[in-house]
Amino acid sequence: MSHKIGLACIIDDDNMYVNLVKRIVEAKNLCNNLMVFQNGKDALNYFEAILTNLNKKTIPEIIFLDLNMPVMDGWEFLDNFTKIKNKLGKTITLYIVSSSINPVDIERAKSINTVKDYLIKPVTIEDLEAIFLKKTL
Amino acid sequence: MLQNELFNNVIQDFNAGYWELYDGPEREVWSEKFYDSLGYTKNELEPKIDYFLEHLIHQEDVELFRDNFFSYRRNAINFKQHIKILDKKGNYKLFRCATNDELPVNIKSKISLVFFIEIKLEPEQDITKDNFYYKETAQMTATGSWYVDFQERKSFWDFETRRILEYADDYIPSLKDSANYYAEDSRQQAADLFFNCAMVGTPFNTEIKMVTANKREFWVRAIGKPVYNENKEIIGIRGVFQDIDEIKKKELSLQKSIDIIASQNSRLFNFAHIVSHNLRSHTSNLSLLVQLIEDIDDPKEKIGLVKEIKQISYSLNTTIEHLNEIVAIHTNKDQEKKPVKFQDAFNLVASGIGQMISMSKTKIKTDFKELNTINYIPAYLESILLNLITNAIKYKHENRDPVIKIKSYSKGSKAYLKVTDNGRGIDMKLFKDKIFGMYKTFHYNKDAVGIGLFLTKNQVESLDGKITVESEVDKGTTFIIEF
Repeated sequence: MSHKIGLACIIDDDNMYVNLVKRIVEAKNLCNNLMVFQNGKDALNYFEAILTNLNKKTIPEIIFLDLNMPVMDGWEFLDNFTKIKNKLGKTITLYIVSSSINPVDIERAKSINTVKDYLIKPVTIEDLEAIFLKKTL
Repeated sequence: MLQNELFNNVIQDFNAGYWELYDGPEREVWSEKFYDSLGYTKNELEPKIDYFLEHLIHQEDVELFRDNFFSYRRNAINFKQHIKILDKKGNYKLFRCATNDELPVNIKSKISLVFFIEIKLEPEQDITKDNFYYKETAQMTATGSWYVDFQERKSFWDFETRRILEYADDYIPSLKDSANYYAEDSRQQAADLFFNCAMVGTPFNTEIKMVTANKREFWVRAIGKPVYNENKEIIGIRGVFQDIDEIKKKELSLQKSIDIIASQNSRLFNFAHIVSHNLRSHTSNLSLLVQLIEDIDDPKEKIGLVKEIKQISYSLNTTIEHLNEIVAIHTNKDQEKKPVKFQDAFNLVASGIGQMISMSKTKIKTDFKELNTINYIPAYLESILLNLITNAIKYKHENRDPVIKIKSYSKGSKAYLKVTDNGRGIDMKLFKDKIFGMYKTFHYNKDAVGIGLFLTKNQVESLDGKITVESEVDKGTTFIIEF
């Protein structure tokens, strides 16, 4: 019994990276829709707005979160998101995707419950496939 | 002879010769030790008082001893005196001569005794020897001794203390002005040490800066400990000063080098992080792109993707240029500093971005009256002004035209530059730690790059300065640079 992911979300300020992932998702037909936020603040605003008008179709099943971003970085987004995620009424799997190889970052990410896993850029097409596939099992 | 064994033992330990006095007829028995101490054997001498007075005792002592001896014999008047007796080698040896009662130990005996306790001259000779060694040690280690006498209210210095403090040999140290022997910034330390030692008896062993008679400051190791009287009261402080100026200066310069190395190391570490992070984001994209190209079968699409490489290459170049700028700061910092007029640097910058200033209707008010010139690398001052001004214009408030106030001033021995704007401000609660980070931007501006303040901070710090920021959202931002 598998279902294709309906909505995935990327929070990342690197346009090139976002475009490439978009292409891969399209080429591999990994999900129906992909939403993109340039920083944590934009994404948080979106989720907070959903709270007032819950509609499961507009809630992503997977989030790919970058750490180094302007305005609001990944850590701050995580803090705020953790507070509201249970009110969204849907399981959201969150991956951190960062180019930081700093062990401090990796440890910190793994200590946060909301974070499913920490992926170090560059991600591979196989990584993305595996993540989307696991979700469908 | 002597009946009492205990007494015998005491005498043995006493290491003294003695005479036992007997009556009827009057005679004296000279003990073995008495002969020994003078180097004679028993048959060489006649153990009689007359013989003693005539042959053995030094002339100077004859009269007194005869009086004492006979008073004791006849009237049991105890006595105590110094006496010189001729030994076998022909030298006079000094003895302390005393009767039972005059001895410091409590000796009980029924027989009257006269003791001859040799006063050894060796200890005195040792002292002169020690004195020689002390002087040598003092000179070779540049260690002077001193004593502060609280009862006499005087301080005493030895020759070496006078020498290292560059005072004449007959100089009498002053207790009242003793603070003047210490460098100004060490006086409190000295006062604390001496006070604690004098009041509570805390000994000290420390490094402190002193001043010589010639007003030369130098480092000494000062060691001191309290001196007590029999009633356990502190009556003075005794100690040494060792000249450690050379060692201490080396240590300080070493410490300075270590500090510089540590700060350079931490900057390098930071830089390595920046390089790693910034380059990685591009190489990651490149790697992802290559995967995608390989994965796609349609040749047309492949060619379309190849074009993306151009974009990545451009970004990579920009990043490398930024990194070059940072490296340049650290290699340029050895450039010569020279007097720069704030006004000149400002004019240069203002004309460079004249269009930006007029387009944005920016008003800039400068005040360099208080401090018009600074010794700095001119290019850095220009770069700092440029970054702070363009920053203020870029992040102006949407409802008002930018007004920038620039003021130079000095406080204490330091020079400052203050740049205040009326822009939209930065939320200090959120971004306090990130303002000067690389590629950190706090606004949605398209042209926000996040390199300017990072470079400014690096430039300021590479010349040992500091930059701080105060800001309030919707009010404006103030940067203060301490040169």
